[in-house]
Amino acid sequence: MSDPVRCRVDDTVRCGRALVVSVPVDPSALARAVREERNSDARVAVVADEPGPAHEHVGCIRPAMGLRTQTALAAAARSRGVETRHDAALAEARKKLAALENPDETGTDPTDTATADERARYREAAAAAATETERLRETVAAARGRLQARQEQGLDPTPAAEELAAAVERLSEAETEAAAARQRLDTVRERTRESRDAREQRFRLEERVGNLERQVRARRREQVHEAYLAALEAVPGVGDVAESSGDDVTDPREMEPVVQALAVARIAELSAPVVLACERFERVETAANWLDTAVIRLTSPV
Amino acid sequence: MAYSRHARESLRNVCRAHESVVVRQSGRIALLGETEFGAFQALRLREKHGDDIQVERTEPFNEFAAVRSAVREAARVYEDRDTPAVPYERFAAGEELPDPESMRDAEL
Repeated sequence: MSDPVRCRVDDTVRCGRALVVSVPVDPSALARAVREERNSDARVAVVADEPGPAHEHVGCIRPAMGLRTQTALAAAARSRGVETRHDAALAEARKKLAALENPDETGTDPTDTATADERARYREAAAAAATETERLRETVAAARGRLQARQEQGLDPTPAAEELAAAVERLSEAETEAAAARQRLDTVRERTRESRDAREQRFRLEERVGNLERQVRARRREQVHEAYLAALEAVPGVGDVAESSGDDVTDPREMEPVVQALAVARIAELSAPVVLACERFERVETAANWLDTAVIRLTSPV
Repeated sequence: MAYSRHARESLRNVCRAHESVVVRQSGRIALLGETEFGAFQALRLREKHGDDIQVERTEPFNEFAAVRSAVREAARVYEDRDTPAVPYERFAAGEELPDPESMRDAEL
């Protein structure tokens, strides 16, 4: 049982567990005010207990609402403290992931690895050095050809021989530089591989957390499934329709979002008021009792 | 890379048994370290499964050695675009960027 709620819209203040607000106001703004979310309307303020995890899904029930029923059901189950056999594994995986995302605790220094830009510069330098070596190799070959031609023609080989010697020296220097550039690139690659190992580990953990979360949600939904079906049947107006149509197996997914939301809200532990802008209940007290939580009912059309 | 369920199973077994030789593994593909031992494991798998095991040698890609600067520049400006939904073909049209067809035809 939640504490009395205090709700203010403009200058109108209502207090209690089953409130009626007749001032025109956006129901979702009121629901956001319940959750004390930042983007709530300045006209409204609600003082209530901390809402449970299902409130953001079914904290505001109105015609033409959208509802992600499966997510809402999982949240409702969580609000009831439903446990699953994957909970411990999930907590463990999340803890490991959090530790990986805080490198201070793992002792690895992210500045140890070169940035992508730095690595690109190393690649560029290695490529440039290789190109230059290739160019000088051709220069050497050409100089050698000229020297040979002069010798064959019986001309003075000295200028050509000097040219060749100079070209060979420049080639030798370029080869040394190319080897060094390649070596630096290899070293950086080796170090990058270690940081990729860390990424790989983080990625696997993220996948694991994602898989476990899906399983946890599915198990939670299973555990409240019966209660949900019963709640659907109990939504005012639903039983009558089923009886009159003679069709007692109505697919829950075919039901109106308002009906589904009411059923989810009934099985959830909401702890904070639900904003109702629908016509299912004649009296607001009935709604509060049926949902077993405080209710703020809006009577004026938005 | 494995091309049959048996080959994949063997690949997985090798990866499990010789973690130190595995650089990366995902599904039916494994990247083994460049050592004789890595090569030995690859050859073993091929010996056992024949064409159901493909062995290729990878090498690091150096874009400065492999492609002309226009291609590098195209990748940079395209990923920096303001309109995410525009396909490259349309993005490049009328600009001084290499067109996709000519890039498709140019081998590295």
